[in-house]
Amino acid sequence: MSENDKFYVERCLDGHPDDYRYLVRRYQGVLLANLVGKLGSRDRAEEAAQEALVRAYFNMGKLKKLDSFFSWLLGIADNVAKEHERKEQIQRQREIVRSSLQESSGTELSQDYALESAIAELPEAFRKVILLRYYGEHSCNQIAEQLDMPLGTVTKTLSRAYAMLRESLQQQKQAEVYEVSQ
Amino acid sequence: MKCTESKELMVAYVEGLLEESEKQAVTEHLKDCPACQAELQELTGLHDRLVTNGKALAQQSKIENDVMNQVIREQNTRLKAATRASDALKIRRTIMKSPITRIAAAAAIIVIAALGVNYIMAPSVTWAQVIEPILNARTIVFDLIIGSEDSGMVSHEIVVGSRIRRTMSNMPNMTLIIDMDNARMLALDTVGKTAIYTDISGDLGDSTRSYIKFVRQIITQLEDGQVERLGEQEIDGQKAILFVGKGHNEEVKIWADPKTACPMRVEAKIGQEYSFVMKNFEFDADVDESLVSMEVPDGYTQKKNEIALGNATEEDFVESLRIWAEIIGDGTFPAAIGTEATMQQMPTLVQKVTAMQVSEEKGTQIGMSFAKGMLFHQKISTQGIDWNYAGAGVKLGDASKAIFWYQPQGSATYRVIYGDLSVKDVAPENLPK
Repeated sequence: MSENDKFYVERCLDGHPDDYRYLVRRYQGVLLANLVGKLGSRDRAEEAAQEALVRAYFNMGKLKKLDSFFSWLLGIADNVAKEHERKEQIQRQREIVRSSLQESSGTELSQDYALESAIAELPEAFRKVILLRYYGEHSCNQIAEQLDMPLGTVTKTLSRAYAMLRESLQQQKQAEVYEVSQ
Repeated sequence: MKCTESKELMVAYVEGLLEESEKQAVTEHLKDCPACQAELQELTGLHDRLVTNGKALAQQSKIENDVMNQVIREQNTRLKAATRASDALKIRRTIMKSPITRIAAAAAIIVIAALGVNYIMAPSVTWAQVIEPILNARTIVFDLIIGSEDSGMVSHEIVVGSRIRRTMSNMPNMTLIIDMDNARMLALDTVGKTAIYTDISGDLGDSTRSYIKFVRQIITQLEDGQVERLGEQEIDGQKAILFVGKGHNEEVKIWADPKTACPMRVEAKIGQEYSFVMKNFEFDADVDESLVSMEVPDGYTQKKNEIALGNATEEDFVESLRIWAEIIGDGTFPAAIGTEATMQQMPTLVQKVTAMQVSEEKGTQIGMSFAKGMLFHQKISTQGIDWNYAGAGVKLGDASKAIFWYQPQGSATYRVIYGDLSVKDVAPENLPK
């Protein structure tokens, strides 16, 4: 699984669907992290991630730059999320998830929902770096290569993303305190 | 080092991205700065949270197998479809399972929807006694052959009033129900159990009207003695009387049973290339009305987007020539164009579009563009416009060769389409030889 994206994309285009597995493995966590914050539940995120990956496979012929698979895939996932998204429903889901998290931390819903929704709200450039670094287990050097930017820019983007996440998490906490005190 | 510098480097510090000297400097600074220590703790906390959450999501994921199963399953279906479609004579049901092919097929069929229109009217062309059942029968069932009888496809038609139910030999899993009064068509995929409505107004609607005119014209000609009775012939082992009606751009032959005067066979030729045969007639057969219902049948899912064809223009025709050369012909224009050739090439188009793995939307668009352009050709062909096709073997992009020219009604010059799909107005004396 050390080959780059382009290698596997070409394998798929040459009629080796089995090799798509490596791309799925590489990006499933990334997609989930991207989608779970947007869609409000893990099930919905899994469903959307699966749909995005299948859709990407059958549209691979339309991918213009073979080495920009990740950005393209993320775009597809965002589209799928938009399609799945119905605002009220999400709001409801978020409430349910939030309350069940508070009630039963340590169960299977113990994932960090506050963090995920903060990531979902990041602008795309920052979101990409966070997703690749922690959910795609890329090193900063790999990210620099993947996104075609200097390492210094990756570091700066990462620092800025941290700051945004902190701010967003802080706001969420305050909102919760406010809700509880009401 | 100052706090601002230290804080700026802190994420890189946590990530272990700093060079040794910078790292040292930050470490030194941290020793004596509680504010930066707090900052470090906070960032490390967030870092750990991200790492933990990242691992949790990656480990728990079952997506991989689900995605792969879905991909492999669907890929196999599509491959099978493409392989089978390559045999133009044997189109199998799997091809219709692909939504793209289904739509491409639906689009294809619209090409001959116009034929249906023509064709209900055409039989009423002749002798009053012969046309009487055609005019007055409540239901008519027959087979329609487009092109020649040994190579053309057969369409089985059930006509009830202004409704037609049509199934075609080259697309056995597709049923079309056409409502002439409201210019709508319902296409049913009998395997995939889906349904889609198509608006067939515009040119298709126009040809309905112009054909009523056509029929009246021919009947007038009949009174002028332009219909000939050619006497008895044997057809399909039975005796028949042959009538031939000739207009300026159309010729209709009707073979009728000498005893009952019922039509047994109709051949029509309109323009240069537009011809069809009708046979195996049944008049006033007992037809269940539900067969021509425009409602989506139980158990079928209606596809949301309606397809609308609208009016076909020269631009559409040029686009369909491009699709023909680029997608069907791998860069070369076909040996012949026209309704029969279109229907014969449709499985190839379906196959190629499937292999292109385009979205359903895009596949539909290609199918529609192709159909619409061919509708334009059908239109000029049935209007008696002078046209010529010379594109056989010409490469797409070859600006030196004229592939098609026609003289629009009322125009002194010809429109000439070249191999690079440019179009020019050309005086008759300068036309390609």
